[in-house]
Amino acid sequence: MPEDDFTLDRLIHEPGRLAILTVLTSVAEADFVFLQRTTGLTKGNLSSHLTKLEDAGLVEIEKRFVRKKPNTNVSLTKDGAERVARHWAQLERLRGLADPEGAR
Amino acid sequence: MKPQDMTIAAAENTYFRGLFGVLGGLLLILSSLGNAGWGPFDHDVAFFAGLAVLGAAALVLNRYYNERYGRSRPTIRHHRRMAVAMFVGAPAVFFGSLLLSSRASWSLNLPLNTIAISMALIILMVSVATVGVRMHYVVVFGTLLVAGLLPIWEREGMSGNTGLWMAGVALIIGGLLDHRLLVRKFGPAREEDRAGA
Repeated sequence: MPEDDFTLDRLIHEPGRLAILTVLTSVAEADFVFLQRTTGLTKGNLSSHLTKLEDAGLVEIEKRFVRKKPNTNVSLTKDGAERVARHWAQLERLRGLADPEGAR
Repeated sequence: MKPQDMTIAAAENTYFRGLFGVLGGLLLILSSLGNAGWGPFDHDVAFFAGLAVLGAAALVLNRYYNERYGRSRPTIRHHRRMAVAMFVGAPAVFFGSLLLSSRASWSLNLPLNTIAISMALIILMVSVATVGVRMHYVVVFGTLLVAGLLPIWEREGMSGNTGLWMAGVALIIGGLLDHRLLVRKFGPAREEDRAGA
């Protein structure tokens, strides 16, 4: 990443989508209810964000049945993992500029 | 928002399913009753019946938590951390307890409750490996650890069973506090969710 590149990924930067992707970095996969509870997003918001992320190739969504009930399972793609890691690193660099003593 | 906020939230949603801890505590108490042959537990069938009840309760709890708080699968990195805690830390604690007080010729034979000490250390290790240092764990299992370290325990007799009781009670209290935290943090569905359901 060039040192003067401060462009933030607009798709990822939206707080709801950033929260979803960050949760997914700490698990191998999670279902819709887990993401909803952990991020605090409403069902509608979460659905909308997941659709955008899937269309961009950042997450994989698998719909299945568990005990005869529909269950939506979500995992990060390799591209998604790289892009969210890059985004957080970018934010840390920006924070480091604001605090010359070093990011806390 | 910091990245740690969401990763900690994910860990809390996974590991603060504290009613499982309550079942674990009841299992330890059941074991001590079985060891002591107290009342109906003089017969093995009562112990196994208790095990069956706890097993059924675990299945019900698993379904409750999965439906209400969702399912996730841990990463390989997480499995490695747990493996270190369980397969390196736990044996170290076990052999340490034998050194402190056991029938081994090399034991220091101190008047300590090694079951209480071991359980406290193992649970603290696992909690650090999963959700990090939490004040309620430090208080509950720190108290268990201190109780085990008091030089008042007889080397033979009922110390082991008392240790199981104390560890069981600590697990129940810790589990209830975990569950309370889980419900408060990730609690009932919001109005928008109910409207959209």
